[in-house]
Amino acid sequence: MIELRGVSKQFGARWAVRDLDLSVPRGEIFGLLGHNGAGKSTAIGMMLGQVWPTTGQLSICGHDITRDRAKALHRVGAIFETPVFYDYLSGRKNLEILSHYTAPTSPERISKIVEWVGLTGRDGDKVSKYSHGMRTRLALAQALLPAPELLILDEPSDGLDPEGIHEMRLTIQRLQKELGLTILLSSHLLNEVELLCTRIAVVNQGRKVFEGTLAEAKQTKQWIRLKVGDFTKAVACLLTEKLITDTRNESHVALADGVRTDTLVRRLVALDIPVFEIAQEEETLESFYLNLMQDSRAKKPLPAAH
Amino acid sequence: MFFLQLRSELAKLFGKKRTYIGFGVFLLAQNLMLLAFRFSNWQKGTARLLESNGYLATEFISALTVAVLMLIPQILLLMPLYVTLVGGDLVAKEAEDGTLRMILSRPISRFRLLFTKWLTGVIFAAILTVALGAMALFFARCWFEWKGMFVFIPIPGGSPIFNVLDAAGGLKYYTLAHAFLALNACTMLSLAFMFSCFNMKPAAATILAISLLFLSVVMEGMPFFADWKDLAITHHFRSWILVFSKPMQTAQIAESFSVLIGVNVTAFVIGATHFHMRDIKS
Repeated sequence: MIELRGVSKQFGARWAVRDLDLSVPRGEIFGLLGHNGAGKSTAIGMMLGQVWPTTGQLSICGHDITRDRAKALHRVGAIFETPVFYDYLSGRKNLEILSHYTAPTSPERISKIVEWVGLTGRDGDKVSKYSHGMRTRLALAQALLPAPELLILDEPSDGLDPEGIHEMRLTIQRLQKELGLTILLSSHLLNEVELLCTRIAVVNQGRKVFEGTLAEAKQTKQWIRLKVGDFTKAVACLLTEKLITDTRNESHVALADGVRTDTLVRRLVALDIPVFEIAQEEETLESFYLNLMQDSRAKKPLPAAH
Repeated sequence: MFFLQLRSELAKLFGKKRTYIGFGVFLLAQNLMLLAFRFSNWQKGTARLLESNGYLATEFISALTVAVLMLIPQILLLMPLYVTLVGGDLVAKEAEDGTLRMILSRPISRFRLLFTKWLTGVIFAAILTVALGAMALFFARCWFEWKGMFVFIPIPGGSPIFNVLDAAGGLKYYTLAHAFLALNACTMLSLAFMFSCFNMKPAAATILAISLLFLSVVMEGMPFFADWKDLAITHHFRSWILVFSKPMQTAQIAESFSVLIGVNVTAFVIGATHFHMRDIKS
């Protein structure tokens, strides 16, 4: 549904997105992760034809967005971080107006969507009277009006209370299950992404630093929490003997393929390094993400992204 | 589909309270001017001017005469302000509020969106002009009789326009003058709209458009630029006055009409070209 090939965007001297390749298959909830200013919103802006790419090709629903924007966006809905509407008009009038930018939409379809998002009875009220949660529902309604195949959600839970976040999560799951939509979810709420997405891509300083399934993200390395008499000496020895491949925070080591924890303990005891604690740690998306950010920062620095 | 989009743009524009500020101020200003005309020396001065030229003041101090007198200060002072206020809002306000990003996530082309917005602005400018003329005539008729029309409009650096017409002829020229006034209003709106397409605040677009008009007025009034006054936009805004000249200065009116149409198209093309190249970000 979404194909990005070598996409870059430069604002003045700064690269907001650099050589981004991304592939979002049909029917998936795909998570786009990254901290604020990592380049997620610029990438989404390019996907929606709002930001012109400096280089690269972007294909949405099989159409080149820069050349054939109308066809590419015909069955696409989008929600942005802060839902904004014409506050002086009613929710229903807002939906009517926004639907006219895609295709004529019947009043019945608008009523159906209003009911689906749970705004029945309030759609005649002015948007200025809506709470943040109701605005988010209205944003969802406008995104669903063109009967989309692809939904692009840019920080949809931003500003919502815990109950609202939970409701949004259930709605996204419903959208995929009941309507079979492909969803691109951009977020920095790792918990949300972990609960919703099947595949993720992580962006840092405009570059993609990871793309894969959640399972792949969690299985990249088997981390062991290790408390020993001399951590530095232990790591040096274990690295030399290729029993571990990586360390982090002076408390964790990553086991090499085929190495078990008992092997590690035996070797440390043989080296006369006292072992106080050893435990296998399950990788969470949060720990994976934080390590990824640390690793990518340790590599060559790039100019800051927008 | 185009008419649905145009209807949506009109609903957005006329759904806002600030759109009606211009209408409200015109209403107030006209009634204040009517009071001033009736109860000050303004009416006596007009009567003296008529009588010194051999006309009976009682035959020409009429609704049509007063309506034209009321139009002049409003067109010079109020119309540019309210038209550029709306023109400056058309794109820049949506960009500032973030609704433009939501619209542009839909398959409408940027050119089409801009064209419907510009057309909405043109419709607003035309409605404002018609309302201005109709209200002036209506309120003037409430206080003065329906008789012949007297027009005296001094033109800086040129011969004043002086004409007397019967009521039917006066109404015809009054209507025609409003067609040219509507074109003036569209031109002011197009200038503000052009700036609005750039990455700036709505107020900045309005201020820039007004500044451009002010600069044109200043340049036009300076003897140094006398040979180039045809290049000043505001010079061509006078075609509505020339409608009342005797004989009607058709060639000058046609030239001004063409220049203003050209300015409108140029402003739209510059704005649309820049808007097309722009990145729309939150």
